[in-house]
Amino acid sequence: MKHIIRTVAILLVFTSCNKDDSEYVSYNNPEVSLDIPINFPELNSSFYTNIPTLYGVELGEKLFNDTKLSADNTISCASCHIQEHAFADHNAIGIGIEGRLGLRNPPPIQNMAFMQVYNWVGNKLQLEAQPLVPIITHEEMDSSILEVIGKIETDKDYITLFNKAFNGEGITADGIYNSIAQYEYSLISANSKYDKVQNGEEETFTEAEALGYAVFQEKCISCHSTELFTDQSFRNIGFPLNPDNEEAGRARVTGEIDDYMSFRVPSLRNIEYTAPYGSFGQFKTLEEVLDYLDTGVLEADNLDPILKDNDNRIPLTDTEKNNLISFLKTLSDEKFVGL
Amino acid sequence: MKNLKNYLLIAIIPLAIMSCSDDDIPVANNVILEFNNTFEGTTIVLGDETDTDATVNTSDAGQVHHFSELKYVISNIRLIKEDGTEIPYNVNDLDNGATIVNQSKTETLEYVLSDIPTANYSQIKFGLGVKSELNTLDQVSFPNFYDAAGENDTEMHWEWGTGYRFTKIEGFYDTDNKELSFHSGSTVEGTVDDESTYTQGVDAYRDITLNLTTAAIVGENAPTIKIEADFDYLLSGNSYTITLVTTSDITNNATPSAHTATEMTKFVDNIGGNGSDDITGMFSITAVEN
Repeated sequence: MKHIIRTVAILLVFTSCNKDDSEYVSYNNPEVSLDIPINFPELNSSFYTNIPTLYGVELGEKLFNDTKLSADNTISCASCHIQEHAFADHNAIGIGIEGRLGLRNPPPIQNMAFMQVYNWVGNKLQLEAQPLVPIITHEEMDSSILEVIGKIETDKDYITLFNKAFNGEGITADGIYNSIAQYEYSLISANSKYDKVQNGEEETFTEAEALGYAVFQEKCISCHSTELFTDQSFRNIGFPLNPDNEEAGRARVTGEIDDYMSFRVPSLRNIEYTAPYGSFGQFKTLEEVLDYLDTGVLEADNLDPILKDNDNRIPLTDTEKNNLISFLKTLSDEKFVGL
Repeated sequence: MKNLKNYLLIAIIPLAIMSCSDDDIPVANNVILEFNNTFEGTTIVLGDETDTDATVNTSDAGQVHHFSELKYVISNIRLIKEDGTEIPYNVNDLDNGATIVNQSKTETLEYVLSDIPTANYSQIKFGLGVKSELNTLDQVSFPNFYDAAGENDTEMHWEWGTGYRFTKIEGFYDTDNKELSFHSGSTVEGTVDDESTYTQGVDAYRDITLNLTTAAIVGENAPTIKIEADFDYLLSGNSYTITLVTTSDITNNATPSAHTATEMTKFVDNIGGNGSDDITGMFSITAVEN
């Protein structure tokens, strides 16, 4: 009985404290309700340990757009991941601080929550592990996580946001990684004409789009499968080779000769906005890509069997190419790119 | 009376301790690791493309080569007593237990292990590179090692893999001085031999075990252990006889500037051992000075 009274008394003290004590803050940070498209592949398991929250996403977006992440405060994530281009780049290869050239074409950031492997070669399997890479890479932002923290740790907006997003933990490296990942998880594109047709909404394909869809199903879908339009596999499809001797494709990660110059099959969603194409922007237009596949690709020991079995090419007539491009444009999500 | 006894005891104990510490050995002392980077015993002199002072080596495949840059990470150091007890030296603390040996910086050729318990040691183990659980470029936890590795003249961050470079060798080969560039580092996610954690990648960390030529007697003196790293092993090691080629045909021998993990592993096995029947790689003990 004594104990109960004591407990009650303590509780009372605390409750009364809460009322007048401005030091104690209760953080109300609800999870963001994301529209998860029903036919999309399963979520990356990391999503469940870093579920996007209201302030996590807000903080991530702020960091994503903040040039303080770069050593000389000139570029942010958004400099190479531009919304109008489905958060991809319009340059062939990434351009970092002081005009330094990267190795590859910055990929779009869309539907990341449903990906199991990230980047062209799958060197990262968790989105939370990715933000540090551009921050420290010499050819990108050339900074360090402590340098970034040093720049933002006195900023009142950041202090408030970090506390709201991560329950008063303040500004931490993990908070930076996790919030940027949360923001990226929230970038879901599933509102294209293709989706509307699939969902039985009013729209229908034009004749060219429908014919293009048929070509797609015949000649493209084995790699560009699922509702993400990628099977997330790594393949060497004999595209022109990157002259930079740092490049080895997926083999740089796995050490397997069979993965030499293999790259992750890219999603085709929003492809209209993500030119140039290829791992280092080899192709300026979709026409160029299709012409190349039609004419014939580079021979390689580990060239994808689908190409090997077809004389190293994907034969396409001009009409098929035009129709295919019409279909690919139905994968454009205007709302997603802010049009 | 009993009390008096106790007082006496109390008075005697400090005396006993004092007399001990006067002429007796300390409980711990330093051990100095001294690295000598050689080509078959000849200490390497670095040099640019046409530098005639540079130490030139000839590989088993007959290729002349010399280095302009030579760096590697030593970590996870353990000293083993004659009775078999292993004394780990800050093995989970890169700031205080790891170092970058850089041939162009004399001061890095010596690494002082402090507070090693007084004993006779017969073996040393260390890692070439950083074990995977610490290999995360974690600047928050290990700011000093991170900074030392990242300095502009060191460049031992492997950014895209968010790990450290374990070895960085730049140089020239063949009589026309073609570029030789070898970087090693891990891409492993999880533990290679553990199916439940392993997802992908190559572990370039190598654990080295070396028997000391004579016991290192730590106590009154701080012994120096002289370690030779014979970089002749890079191209002419126990695992592979490598012929450097410039073509992009990576199935035959090695293109020193093609940075695939496949290529990398050959060099890593040569200098760091293959982890099974070769646990010394290019390293050997040349002397222990007590």
